[in-house]
Amino acid sequence: MDPGDVGRYGSGQVVRRIEDPALVQGQGRYVDDVAPEGQVFMRFVRSTTAHGRIVAIDTEAARAMPGVLAIYTGADLEAAGVKPLMAAAGFRRPDGKAMDPAPKRALALEVVRYVGEPVVAVIAESRAAAHAAADAVGVEIDPLPAVSDVPAALAPGAEPVWPGAPGNVLAQAQHGDSAATAAAFARAAHTVELDLVNQRVAPSTMEPRGVLAHFEGGRLTMRLSSQMPSGVRTGLIHCLPGLTTETVRVVVGDVGGGFGMKTGLYPEDAAVGFAALQLKRPVKWQAERLEDFLSANHGRDLTSHAELALDASGRVLALRVRSVANVGAYPTGAGVAIALMIGPWVITSIYDIPQLDLHLRCVLTHTAATGAYRGAGRPEAIYVIERLLDAAAREMKLDPAELRRRNMVRPEQMPYTNAMGQVYDSGQFERILDQGLALADWGGFAARREQSQARGLLRGRGIATFLEWTGGNMLEEQVQVRITADGYVELTSATMPMGQGIATSYAQLAVDVFGLPIERIRVLQGDTDRANGFGSAGSRSLFTGGAAVRVAAQNTVAVGKDLAAQALEAPAADIEYQAGRYTVAGTDLGIGLFELAQRQSAAVILAEGGAKAGAASWPNACHVCEVEIDPATGEVRVVAYASVNDIGRIVSPVIVRGQVEGGAVQGIGQALCERIVYDAQGQLLSASFMDYALPHADVFRGFKTAFDQSVPCLTNSLGAKGVGELGTIGATPAVVNAVVDALDHAGLGRAAEKVQMPLTAETVWRALRGKLA
Amino acid sequence: MSSSIEFTLNGRATAVAAPPEMLLLDLLRGPLSLTGTHSGCDTAQCGACTVLIDGQAVKSCSVLAVQAQGRAVTTVEGLARPDGTLHPVQEAFIACHGLQCGFCTPGMMLAATCLLAQIADPSEEQIVHALEGNLCRCTGYVNIVAAVRQAARAMNGRAS
Repeated sequence: MDPGDVGRYGSGQVVRRIEDPALVQGQGRYVDDVAPEGQVFMRFVRSTTAHGRIVAIDTEAARAMPGVLAIYTGADLEAAGVKPLMAAAGFRRPDGKAMDPAPKRALALEVVRYVGEPVVAVIAESRAAAHAAADAVGVEIDPLPAVSDVPAALAPGAEPVWPGAPGNVLAQAQHGDSAATAAAFARAAHTVELDLVNQRVAPSTMEPRGVLAHFEGGRLTMRLSSQMPSGVRTGLIHCLPGLTTETVRVVVGDVGGGFGMKTGLYPEDAAVGFAALQLKRPVKWQAERLEDFLSANHGRDLTSHAELALDASGRVLALRVRSVANVGAYPTGAGVAIALMIGPWVITSIYDIPQLDLHLRCVLTHTAATGAYRGAGRPEAIYVIERLLDAAAREMKLDPAELRRRNMVRPEQMPYTNAMGQVYDSGQFERILDQGLALADWGGFAARREQSQARGLLRGRGIATFLEWTGGNMLEEQVQVRITADGYVELTSATMPMGQGIATSYAQLAVDVFGLPIERIRVLQGDTDRANGFGSAGSRSLFTGGAAVRVAAQNTVAVGKDLAAQALEAPAADIEYQAGRYTVAGTDLGIGLFELAQRQSAAVILAEGGAKAGAASWPNACHVCEVEIDPATGEVRVVAYASVNDIGRIVSPVIVRGQVEGGAVQGIGQALCERIVYDAQGQLLSASFMDYALPHADVFRGFKTAFDQSVPCLTNSLGAKGVGELGTIGATPAVVNAVVDALDHAGLGRAAEKVQMPLTAETVWRALRGKLA
Repeated sequence: MSSSIEFTLNGRATAVAAPPEMLLLDLLRGPLSLTGTHSGCDTAQCGACTVLIDGQAVKSCSVLAVQAQGRAVTTVEGLARPDGTLHPVQEAFIACHGLQCGFCTPGMMLAATCLLAQIADPSEEQIVHALEGNLCRCTGYVNIVAAVRQAARAMNGRAS
């Protein structure tokens, strides 16, 4: 082919995703699309009580029903040697002892601690039979008092969720210097404080969780929808007796959305694996939407009292935050780390804030666990600082952009170590701000506000300038390359696709090196028999796995050079490679890459390569949102959204735009409509898409999105910074700041800062009438 | 007790036995092995299961299989031409990056196909209205709406 054509598919070019032809023809392979001969179906009987003692389980009638193969209880699993899932660890209780969470079992044993906890597993020949039999299981639970939110859990004499967490405090952390911060507050010219609720939300992947397990030939194969197949394997080996890394294979096909929700082993997964081992038949559990609302990890749920101290010129002197995270009854390791460590890492954001004082607690309640959800700690932290800066600007009667500008870390301070000890390698924050203000026509806002007013609408404007930490501190990846005789370059990676288009980005990087059309590149992922690693989370895949693709591809070309030298009977030093062909320099002699593969004894050329980033990457951005509010109804409409994003060097321009804009709509969803609600008894009230409001197609479409590629990341060879979570992190504070601005302008003044997400029509309507909960 | 259902599926006469309580969604995904039609919720909110019945976009989780009797059903597998040429809506979803994880995509495309058969050149508001019953968590809908606009242009161009 014409080498000129190849340039159209390499990194930085707009290409059609290699994932798409199959997906638009209904040929995706999501878990439930795979239906092996003889598969049987698992159905869970779940607790309908938030807290209680299991008195009796009657399975007799169910066992007699047609098609029923097996019924398991927690006691059955305990007797069979099934262990609880790997426990969350790594933090300390207030008394200094290591945190001690309740054992999270595949099926509840003796006590249930949230509505939806799996209690009994029924396996039958058909879905309908499993459903009917599960309905026939009798579970008698002696109810105990439940605590479903933080105030109830921390109230004196509150019902303990688990004895290992006295006072329901599972773990705590303190960061910074309390005394120095107090001194800074004492001498501050201005202080502001806010109470901020970062409400619990549901990640809501469109494909709910699903597992298909089959024990065959001495090996257990688990097919599931997961971002971390190797971690699932490790977790499963921990739970189920007799398994080893050799006897477990985890396979992942297409993943219908991840967003952090599919990052580990769930209790249901272990139950399915157990049943497959017992029954020696393929066992499938496909979660219904209700089951994902009930028992998939939720996100956020952090309540903060936050204070900022500033000098007379608007320089921030100190930040003081007291936060409580509701981590559910059986916390995840990620859920705890997010609240106590990951959020704090970025809470000073792009600002040069000298003093910090954070007191953070994780509290148990009788609710589902929280875990990673797009942004995982950074949205909560950035929400705190961006809300505070707007409050300070209001207090000081300063332009909020100007106040941010005065506090930004300057380029000459790089590498910059923040008050949490995190090191930023690069960033031109003021330049990003200036571009953001220009793209948003910041100066033209007053005229737009007047136009809205003329139509009877309140207009507000909000800004968020911020950075985030990416990479999950898992910075190394390996990639295997296989050149096949039938004309394909196969890349194998342990990172995972979940809709983000990582295979296309990898293929583009491979095109750069091989000079072949993108159709010649295949990307294999999601099989622990082929590759193992951390998987995909924390916006890490491109800058770790992509860097490895490049190295592995270069290594392959080098390996091929030696083989070509043999084939062409010429010194390796004389062999040149270009566009799929090796030639002897200065001659017509040559051999194609794939023909060379054909000539090898195994008819393939194999090579591999790895890369290790030196540190996290720190993508950053300026997001500006404008909203209109109908004062008659309180309805908020996003009417403008401009963002300038520094994600370093870009491999796939269309994909990264989709990440930022799609991510922003998730952030808008949290700001305006999404909320998980439990009642005081721990019943989940928002358990379907009728009661849990996801953004619909009418949400907003007029994004202006730009990228500044002039600040490459310095800690990885691609110069790329993670992009997957940036939009979600920026959108929530930008939208809320815009609504608060509109309410302030409508006459509420500083009182407008009391509104809490989600800013539904009702909340805003009440606020406009002075009712600020 | 199963009854035989005769209907046209993706242009082909089809006869299949199905119990009276079976949903069309389950008939398609199970006995007929057409797994491009997805199940994303329990409450007919998400639209991932959208198919066309006599050209009308319908959530197949809310229709009994027996209700397909005598009708023409189109699923995502029936959008492309038999020679493999993609439907303009499929082309446009690829060209506009109108999908990420792809799970909602079949339903989105069928809702869009229904709209474009009824309104050749829909306004943005009409597109948004037509997609109101289909949820997407990845794209933020921006590129989905753009894809439907592009498909309309392509289909009108070919027709003229």
